[in-house]
Amino acid sequence: MRYICANCGYTYDPDQGDPMNDIPPGTAFADLPENWVCPLCYATMDSFDPLD
Amino acid sequence: MKPSISSLYQAIEIGQEIPPLLIGERSNPNGSKKFRECLLADDFDGCLRIGLDQEAKGAQVLDICAAYVGRDELADLTHLVKLHAESLKIPIMIDSTNSDCIEACLKIYPGRCIINSINLEDGGKTLDRVCRLAKKYGAAVVALTINEQGMAMTADEKVDTARQIYDLAVGKHGLRPQDILFDPLTFTIGAGDENLFDAAIQTLDGIRRIKEELPGVYTLLGLSNISFGLPPAARKILNSVFMHDAIEQGLDAAIIDAGKILPLAQVNEEDRVFCRDLIYNRGQDEEVSPLMRFIAHFSERVDGDDEEASDDQRPEEALHQKIVRGDKDGIEDILSVLLDRYPPLEIVNLILVPAMRHVGELFGKGELLLPFVLQSAEAMKKSVAWLEPHMEKLDQEEGIKILLATVQGDVHDIGKNLVDILLSNNGYKVFNIGIKVPAETIIAKARELNVDMIGLSGLLVKSAIVMQESLPQYREAGLDVPILLGGAALTSDFVATSCVPNYDAPVVYCSDAFAGLKALKDFEAGQLTATVAAPKNGKPCMKPGVKDVNIDRSQPVPEPPFYGLRHVIDIDPAKLFPYVNEQALFRGRWGYRRTSSSSAEEYAELTRSKVAPLYESLKARALEEGLLQPKAAYGYFRCYSEGDTVFVEAGEDIMAFDFPRQQSPPHLCIADYYKTREEGGDVAAFFVVTIGDRIAEETKRLFEADAYHDYLMLHGFSVEVTDALAEYWHEEMRRELGINRDKPDDMTGYVIQGYQGSRYGFGYPACPDLDAHGMLFKLLEPEKIGITLTETMEMVPEVSTSAIIAHHPQAKYFAV
Repeated sequence: MRYICANCGYTYDPDQGDPMNDIPPGTAFADLPENWVCPLCYATMDSFDPLD
Repeated sequence: MKPSISSLYQAIEIGQEIPPLLIGERSNPNGSKKFRECLLADDFDGCLRIGLDQEAKGAQVLDICAAYVGRDELADLTHLVKLHAESLKIPIMIDSTNSDCIEACLKIYPGRCIINSINLEDGGKTLDRVCRLAKKYGAAVVALTINEQGMAMTADEKVDTARQIYDLAVGKHGLRPQDILFDPLTFTIGAGDENLFDAAIQTLDGIRRIKEELPGVYTLLGLSNISFGLPPAARKILNSVFMHDAIEQGLDAAIIDAGKILPLAQVNEEDRVFCRDLIYNRGQDEEVSPLMRFIAHFSERVDGDDEEASDDQRPEEALHQKIVRGDKDGIEDILSVLLDRYPPLEIVNLILVPAMRHVGELFGKGELLLPFVLQSAEAMKKSVAWLEPHMEKLDQEEGIKILLATVQGDVHDIGKNLVDILLSNNGYKVFNIGIKVPAETIIAKARELNVDMIGLSGLLVKSAIVMQESLPQYREAGLDVPILLGGAALTSDFVATSCVPNYDAPVVYCSDAFAGLKALKDFEAGQLTATVAAPKNGKPCMKPGVKDVNIDRSQPVPEPPFYGLRHVIDIDPAKLFPYVNEQALFRGRWGYRRTSSSSAEEYAELTRSKVAPLYESLKARALEEGLLQPKAAYGYFRCYSEGDTVFVEAGEDIMAFDFPRQQSPPHLCIADYYKTREEGGDVAAFFVVTIGDRIAEETKRLFEADAYHDYLMLHGFSVEVTDALAEYWHEEMRRELGINRDKPDDMTGYVIQGYQGSRYGFGYPACPDLDAHGMLFKLLEPEKIGITLTETMEMVPEVSTSAIIAHHPQAKYFAV
């Protein structure tokens, strides 16, 4: 499931991962490290809404 | 003969062999929508049908109320009483606090009825009049345990008040004990108000002791109050169990919807346990409160035959629901009815404030979104404003007082104002002393107003430093009240390690306005403590960013159309809307987020039916009323980099823009994206843009007019349109530089910077220091388009933004 940052609109797509934070493709949102933040606006994970 | 009441046709004993005496509650314009509609349409036959229907469903007495704003109660009530006296077999209860109405009805009623009600709120004047009438006409009376101090909350108070009334009614006016039905008051245990956790216990005790200590009297309850705020199916069961237990304590009569009460035998054992845990407040210290356990247990229950679920309301509940739903329409009507029954302050403290707390809980559970919370706050504000003229001057020394300010140098006030809205509408006294407030002023005001707490706010990184550095000043000034800190640049770690040690009383980090509300509740409970460091997973937050270390030095330098500065004041505002980040606006700025309980489809429906139309109407309004006045000051300048500095040539002057470098790999710095003198130099582009101060003024006006919801909407809109202007103008400048080949297809493309180069906002993560604004303003002279700087280098109006633009394709966002 994709998640969207409520603060800036960035979408976390598990298929892509997040290269800006060294997160490999195939990482589910739930499996992101707790200190992960939005790669664009640095909002914490509680700023993300499920998208699908 | 046993004490009875009677109609023209029959007598009925007050003390039923199988109690309670069931008194129908729906012939009341404030409790039943259907009844209200009939009454307002002068459809008295329709009103009568509602009475007959209750009789058919088992009511043994019918309560009739006609008090409604704008209606002539005397005419309506006498008309209704006459009509019911002829057609209804059961006797009636005259529900009025107006002694003239009561007497007029007693005169025409051909039987023995009950008067609802008397109390000691005014010290006994009305009670004296009504007791004389009861004596004269031989009526029974309902007596509420309310005295000049207010509604009796504890069993002791209930019994004491009942005894006072008893002494007057029996001792002074010669009524018999059996003529009185004491109502020791029922308060909801369904709203999570901790003051009411034991309210059911107190009421049950009150019934038992009134019966023991005042022999011969009867007791009565407005029973459904017990379950205000809970879903209909759960209410029916809780009401039934509570009624059963109240009867065991000696309850004789209940005002209730006779059709909506179950015999206890129909409530299964398990349901009874959850009901009784709630009623008797069992296991309050467990992790999940009895109320939460109750709600969870009954969450799936649907009441099949509840065709008039939301209609079947008493005014207390109607008001509660109005607040929870944020529905202001007609709220004055409900208030005016309640004002006949309760002192205004009790309406505030026992109905309005608990309703707002319930709203806060719903938000906390993710069941209510911020815009709806603000609508509730508006309904609350309207209610309190309506009640205020009826209240004696509020004692300023009463209740918890908090001072709120945005710290020196910072003009951002949405966060502070949301805190103000929430706190002031949850019963706290708020002194909101504005923006850019120096510590000296805050200290002086805090002393003068003798506040219990101070709340400091600020969006900027700089403001976090201001808070940290001014705390010793608060300590030296001898202040000892807790200080709450809120703002985008703060973290709990920063507050715990850098702020808490600088002050003696608790310093508390509040991540949002609701955290502020929680802090006040903790303070009230004597449990407020300073924030302690709790880094996520023991590690600080990640620092995302580009991982490129090798920045291509051979990148060609684009040719700008001019060198120097230009001002543009005729930007068409409609051109900005395609650049608005709607996701950030809807979810982030407005708080229309997808809650844990809603599906993607439900969220799409919310967006389609509510949020998008709101956005469209704001756009139209902004254009129509000229609220947007986009302007830009921008320019291109020859430059070269040297280490962490970009030297910018402006005519004769050379300005040195120092940029910070990342402490950890890949050790980026904005200067890296510009060529050195040896490499042939580069071009630096800058802009300062604003959408003008008209929208800021209108936003301020909305806040001051208590239009909280619209305030948040317009503020969010202005913030995102400002960003859209920055996005639009950045694109214009890429076009002028001839580097606009990769134009993004949609907003997502802009979000991820799917274009050549980047822009770095001053005050943002790649260059957090706002002091560069000093040089930037010399370069671009944005004062000429109406933008000025505060003493801490922040731009005014707030709806302005600045940036340095790097054309280098590898330039993207990063944080230092």
